[in-house]
Amino acid sequence: MKTWKRNLLAVPILVWIGLLVGIPMVLVVALSFLSRDHLGNIVYQFTLDNYRRVLDPIYLRVFLNSLLLALLTGLITLLVGYPVAYITSNLPPRRRALALGLIMLPFWISSLLRTYGWMILLGNAGLINNVLLALKIIDKPLPMMYKFSTSLVGTAYMLMPFMIVAVFNSVDKLDRSLLEASYDLGASKWKTFFHITVPLTLPGIAGGFTLVFIPALGLYFVSDLLGGGNTVFLGNLIHTMATRGRNRPLAAAFSMGMIALVLMVLSLYMKASKDKTGEGLFQ
Amino acid sequence: MNRRSAVLLVAVVLVLAAAGAAGAKEGEITLMTWGGDFIPREIIQEFEQETGIRVHYKEAPSNEDMQSLLEANPDQYDLLVVTDYMVDILRQNGVLEVLDKTKMPNYANINPVYLGNYYDPTSEYSIPYAISISLLLVNHEEVEKLGAKPITTYSDLWQPELRGKVVVVDWSVEIMGVALKSLGYEYNETDPAKVAEARDRLFALKPNIVRFETNTPEDSLINGEAVAGFMYSNQAVKGNAADPKLQPVFPTEGMPIFIDSWVMSKEAPNKDGAYKFLDFIMRPEIAARIADITKFTTPNKAAEPFLPDYYRDNPMLNLADEVVENTSFYIGVDKVLVEYEHIYVEFKLR
Repeated sequence: MKTWKRNLLAVPILVWIGLLVGIPMVLVVALSFLSRDHLGNIVYQFTLDNYRRVLDPIYLRVFLNSLLLALLTGLITLLVGYPVAYITSNLPPRRRALALGLIMLPFWISSLLRTYGWMILLGNAGLINNVLLALKIIDKPLPMMYKFSTSLVGTAYMLMPFMIVAVFNSVDKLDRSLLEASYDLGASKWKTFFHITVPLTLPGIAGGFTLVFIPALGLYFVSDLLGGGNTVFLGNLIHTMATRGRNRPLAAAFSMGMIALVLMVLSLYMKASKDKTGEGLFQ
Repeated sequence: MNRRSAVLLVAVVLVLAAAGAAGAKEGEITLMTWGGDFIPREIIQEFEQETGIRVHYKEAPSNEDMQSLLEANPDQYDLLVVTDYMVDILRQNGVLEVLDKTKMPNYANINPVYLGNYYDPTSEYSIPYAISISLLLVNHEEVEKLGAKPITTYSDLWQPELRGKVVVVDWSVEIMGVALKSLGYEYNETDPAKVAEARDRLFALKPNIVRFETNTPEDSLINGEAVAGFMYSNQAVKGNAADPKLQPVFPTEGMPIFIDSWVMSKEAPNKDGAYKFLDFIMRPEIAARIADITKFTTPNKAAEPFLPDYYRDNPMLNLADEVVENTSFYIGVDKVLVEYEHIYVEFKLR
């Protein structure tokens, strides 16, 4: 009886998710098997053509491109974010709260505006180039915009807080007596870090990686603005297909491909962290 | 607020709404088009003051939205402004009224160079309103510094000296169009041999492109990261205003044109009012003011003496008839889109 009452509280959110996630999801699945007429209207006729097109070698390269971007984003955020999270969790409580607040602060500003900020920073007539030119370190602007690496930097920057918070939670729960035991047994700081801390915070690393990897697949405006449209990621492709390409069924089929990619990563996460329910992602 | 006053408020709102709906039959017309000041509010106000006809301005974000709104409720809209290809779709779907030119003496002011196009071959259903083209914006000084020869055609964009110095708008059909035109073919070619040729031609352009940007390509020329760009005329106008060194080039192979046109719903509730409005905005001095505010090319030939000097002297706004004669439309996009998108993705991944 008691659990029944407690579960009752979950009903609104289940209805919410059912309506706003479940139904659109079913529609996308259905749409991916439909055809369209020459004006872009949906025709209710079953076809596998959309999926056949998704498996085209050129479009598979778009998948690989996105996969590469998301993997590298995960790696960069991990390399930069782990030390930040580690140091933050070892701060005295009040400083720790301040540090966490500062890490979350960028979220107060629209991500689109922050992307434009990067353009102001990296552009040919941007801040960095102007300073270097004024200091006579370079004699013509360094081209830093519109490259794969520019998209990568922007995406990694955008998703960094997810990694930091995930690792922070994990490091925070670390049993410090284990570290002391390791030192007592004569292990160096580094040895302790790699043999004790890292394995014990692996769930946090896997969680952070997953939380960064998934949105990295879809941040198409970052690669549009910072990448100058010079390369194509899944997000860009789906966006173009659904709008100017007037081909929503194909866009839906690509979305299914993206979902498959995400499910693959989630299953890897569950294996790595032994988290069977995915609960750890939301701690 | 207690319950009774809430009920009262709802009742008042409903009565007012009903009164508003009833009034629509007499002295009101409803326009639908893009928002902003595409139909300048001050011009609409003047029309309202002069005729006593109230004008409702329904804003819609795209041609496709306007199509679905009109086809769902054809008796709620009198006039729309849509782009050329949408005139064609609406005309074929049978939702447009044949315009009675005798009710619009000012129709004679329209430059015939803009009439009789594919989307309305007999000019029965539409009246051109705002015109734009795509063209090249070039920094000739910088092109010379790079050791390239002066740019007068699309083909000149392929010069190896321009490596990483060209910006273009980001759409497959338009960029394939540049490649096709540079080979002397028409837009939206479907012949596989010609498409394959254009594909190879396009791939050769990749090293020269620094950026694909649809919204503000002129910025890349202003900040110097590009020396030539393929963009819409209103963007080129902005670039030229920001830096006079950036000059328009009308490529000799020809350019795309976009004609936003007035059309009337077949079931328009107030056709007389709609004709009055169309005649009003085709008055030479009114058309000139609209052109000044919107910065689109006006099809109104008689408006020329009323145009401000900056506008009349700007070849991108006051398009010469020879330029217009060298333009063409993107016809039959639906037949090529899937293949062009595929080529375009391959092109970008190179």
